[in-house]
Amino acid sequence: MLKKRARFLALGSAGLLATSLGLAACGSGDDSGSNFDGLILVSETPIDHLDPQRIYVGADIASLSRLVYRQLVAYPIKDGDGLPVPDLATDTGTSAKGGREWSFTVKDGVKWEDGSPITCEDFKYGASRNFAVDEITGGPGTAYIVPRLAIPKKADGSSQYEGPYTKKGQELFDKAVTCNGNTITYRFTDPWADFPLAVASLHMMDPYKESFDKGAKNDDVIFSNGPYKVKDWDTKKGGTFERNPEYDPATDTPDTLRQAKPDAIKYKYGEKAETLYERIINDTGDAKNTVSAQRRVPPSMFNQLQDVKDRYVQVDSPYVDYLVPNQSRLKNPLVRKALAVSTNINAWIAAGGGERAYKPADSIVNPSVQGYVPNPAFKDHNLDGDVAQAKKLLAQSGEKLPIAIKFSYPQTDSADKQAAAIADTWKQAGFNVTLDPLGEEYYSKIQKPGNDSDVMWGGWGADWPSATTVTAALFDSRQINKGSTGQNYGQYKSAKVDGLFDKAIAAPTLDEQTKFLQEADAQLGADVAYIPLEISIFNWVYGSNVVDFATSSASNSFVELGPIDVKK
Amino acid sequence: MTAPSSELESHLSGSSMEPEKAAGGDVASKSPMRLAMGRLRRDKLSMISLFVVLLVVLAAIAAPFLVKWGVLDPYTLHNSGKDNLLDEFTLPKGSWGGISKEHPLGVEPQAGRDAMSRFWYGITFSLLIALTASLMAVALGTVLGIIAGFSRGWVDALIGRVIDLTLSFPQTLMLLALAAIGLQFIKQVTPLEGSAAEAGYAVAVLAVFGWPQTARVVRGQVLSIREREFVDAAVLLGASRRRIYFREILPNLWAPLLVLFTLSMPAYVSAEAALSYLGVSVKPPTPTLGNVLRDSLQYATADPVYFFVPAILIAVIVISFNLLGDGLRDALDPKGNR
Repeated sequence: MLKKRARFLALGSAGLLATSLGLAACGSGDDSGSNFDGLILVSETPIDHLDPQRIYVGADIASLSRLVYRQLVAYPIKDGDGLPVPDLATDTGTSAKGGREWSFTVKDGVKWEDGSPITCEDFKYGASRNFAVDEITGGPGTAYIVPRLAIPKKADGSSQYEGPYTKKGQELFDKAVTCNGNTITYRFTDPWADFPLAVASLHMMDPYKESFDKGAKNDDVIFSNGPYKVKDWDTKKGGTFERNPEYDPATDTPDTLRQAKPDAIKYKYGEKAETLYERIINDTGDAKNTVSAQRRVPPSMFNQLQDVKDRYVQVDSPYVDYLVPNQSRLKNPLVRKALAVSTNINAWIAAGGGERAYKPADSIVNPSVQGYVPNPAFKDHNLDGDVAQAKKLLAQSGEKLPIAIKFSYPQTDSADKQAAAIADTWKQAGFNVTLDPLGEEYYSKIQKPGNDSDVMWGGWGADWPSATTVTAALFDSRQINKGSTGQNYGQYKSAKVDGLFDKAIAAPTLDEQTKFLQEADAQLGADVAYIPLEISIFNWVYGSNVVDFATSSASNSFVELGPIDVKK
Repeated sequence: MTAPSSELESHLSGSSMEPEKAAGGDVASKSPMRLAMGRLRRDKLSMISLFVVLLVVLAAIAAPFLVKWGVLDPYTLHNSGKDNLLDEFTLPKGSWGGISKEHPLGVEPQAGRDAMSRFWYGITFSLLIALTASLMAVALGTVLGIIAGFSRGWVDALIGRVIDLTLSFPQTLMLLALAAIGLQFIKQVTPLEGSAAEAGYAVAVLAVFGWPQTARVVRGQVLSIREREFVDAAVLLGASRRRIYFREILPNLWAPLLVLFTLSMPAYVSAEAALSYLGVSVKPPTPTLGNVLRDSLQYATADPVYFFVPAILIAVIVISFNLLGDGLRDALDPKGNR
C-alpha cells in the first residue's frame, strides 16, 4: 500500500494537471515564505491523512513521527540492525505465550501538546479506533489490527467490535487490550513475531486522546506529542509547525530519534516536480531552505544533476515495481511464461529515465526486506527480453497466435513511453498488445474482479521489513471477494501458497517465517503470478541552506527529518 | 423552385449585413466569386498562408502512406540494446537533440523514437481531429442557425437559449470531469476503441461546444436573406421547409461558412493541443501535436530541439490557417470590418 500511493502521487496524474497548475500559482504567489528562515517542505499534493490511525503513505509515516507523532517504539535515524528502539515505551516490548501477547510500559512524564500526560488508556483508545472501519478509513489497521487482535469475528469475517464510536462489542476489545497501571498488553489470535516492527513502521498503534476525538472530522488536525506542534494549517495549501513547549527531550532519545533542529517547519502544497526542482537547482530565494517532501527529480532534469553534486543524493527505494498477469484471463501457464520471458526490462528502464531512475529487480521482495532472496524463476531473466524463447513457448502452448492482450497502467508521460517500450518485444514474440493508460480510476478499475485487463502494473513496498507484508499481502487469494480483488489484482489463487502464508504469519520466529515465505515466493515465480520489473531509485536535490540532509529506511528513502537543519 | 441564377449570384456576397448595397455593385462581367478570388490572389500574405496550409494538408495526407512504406517510423524504440541512441541521462546522444541522417530532427528522450516521424504523423492526427470537429461544428451550427433564423418565434428563442447555455457552460472543467465517463460512453455506443475512441471524444467535445459561433453568424445572415423576394417566391409557390432551408437559403451562406470553417480549423488545432495537454485527447503512443508537445515541455532545457519543433509547428499551422481565414474574409466581404 505504501508504494501504491507513492508512485501514483509521485508521477502525478494527467487529470490533476489542471488543478495542480492552479495550485502552483497560489503556492508561488505566497510571498510570506521569502523571509521564512525555517525548513520548507514542498509537495505536489496535500498529505493524504493527518489522523495517525489513517496515515498510510510512505513519505508521511516517518516525517510525522519525527515531528508530531511519537510511537511506542520507533525506527532510529541511522540504519542499524533493522530493529526499533523505545520511544514512548520504556523498552521494545515483551512477548508472552509464544508471541500471542505483547506488553509495553509507557514512560513517565510524556505529555500531549496541552500538557496532559500520555497514558496507557490513550494507547488503548488509539488501538480501538482501527475498528471503526467506516469512520477511520484508509489506514493499515483494517488489514493488520482488526483481523489479528483476539476479538471474535462475525459470520461475514468482520470484527464483532465496531469501534469506540458505537461501542458495540466494547467488552470484547477490553479483554483483548488491557491496561495494568502504565503497562498496555495486546492479545492476538495467532503469534505475531514481528509486532514491534509493525508498531514502529506504521502509526496504527499510536495513542489518541479520547476527549480530543471527533472521528472522521479529525483527519486534518494534529494533536501533537512530539517536538513540534501545528501553528497554522490549511488542508489544501499546507501550514507551519512551531516548537511544542510541552515536549520534554529528556523523555526522548533526541540523537537517535529526533534532533528537532529547525525552529519552524513549513509544508507547502501544489508545486509540480519540474517547477520545484527548477527552483531548488537554481537555488534562489526560499528554495535555499527547501527540500522535496515527496516528488523525486524528474528524469528530464537528470542532466542538470552534475551541476549540483554537493546537494544531490541518490538512494535505492524500498519499493519494487512489477507486472501482474490476470490469471482469470491468461489461464495457460506457458502463455504467462512467454510473457515473462519476452519482457524487455532494459527498454522499460530506459524509457522511464534510465539507470539513474531504476535498477532491475529479480523478486517482488525488495532487497532491504528481511529474508530477501532472488526469485529462482527470475534470477536469470534476460533483461533485453528473450523473444526467441518466448516464441518457442507460445508455439508449445497450442494457443492461436497472435494472442490479444491488454496492458493497463497508470498514465504519466514516462509511463506511456515505458508501456510502448515493453509492448515492443511482446509484439515480436506473438502478442497483439493494446495499451490501456488509466487515470485516477486505475486501482478501482483493476481491483474489480471482472476487469478485462490481461496485464497490469503494480508497485509495492513492505509495510514493515517482513515479506509477509509483501507476498502475503499481495497474493493471498482469500482477500478476493465479489466486489474487489483486494491487492491481488491478478486474482492468483493457490491453496498451497495460501497455506504457506498462514504458516509464515503464525511462525513463532522470524527465521521460520522467512523459510515459508521464500517457498511461497518460489511458487509465485513458477506460476508467473507476477513479473518483477525494477526497483525505483530516488534522486533528491535540496536547497543550499539545508544541513544534514539524509534518507533512511525509516523514512522509506524519502527525506529523513530526524537530523535535518537549516543554516540561518 | 430555385431563384434564377443571376438573382442568386447577385446576392452571393452574403456576409454583408446590408444586401441592398452589396447588390448595388454593377460589375456585370465578373462573378462575385471571381472578384473575390482576384482580391485574394492580390493579397500576398494570404497567398503565402494558403501555400503553407496546402503544404501542411499534403504532408498530413502523405504521412500514413510514408509510415506504411517505412519512410517514417514513429513507433520503433531506440533506447536499449545495440540500437541505443540515448546517453546516460536518457537524452539523445549527440548535439541538437541527436540530429543525424537517419533522424533529421533527432530522437525523443527516454524512448528514442524518431522525432520527425512523431511530429509529422502528429500533424495527421491533429488535422484529422480538427477537420472532423470543424465540419461537425459548422454543419450543426448551420442547420440550427438556418432553422432559428427562418422560423422566428419560439423555435428561434429556444435555439437562442441553447446557444447561450452552451456558451456559458464551463466547458474545460466539464470536459475534464466527464472525460472518463464520456470515453466509456463512446466505447460502449460506437465501435471505436483505444485511440479512435479518445479522438472521438475530443471531436465530440470540440463540436458540441463549437457550433454556437456558427449558428449565431448563420442566424444573422438568414434573418436578412429570408426577407428577399426569391424566398418569398419560394414560400408562395408552396416549397417545403426543407427545400427553402437547403436549396434557397443555404447556397447564399457559403461565403461566411467558408470563413467560419477556415477560422475554426486553427482554433481546433490549438484546442486539441490543449486537450492533449490536459490528458483528455488521443493518448500516446499515437502521436498528435498536442501530446507530443505535452511530452516535450519537460525537456525545455534538457533538449530544446525536441521542445521547440512541435511548438513551432503548432504556431505555424495556427497562424497560417488564421491568416488564410482573415484573407478569405477580406476577399469575400471587402467592406466588412476587421
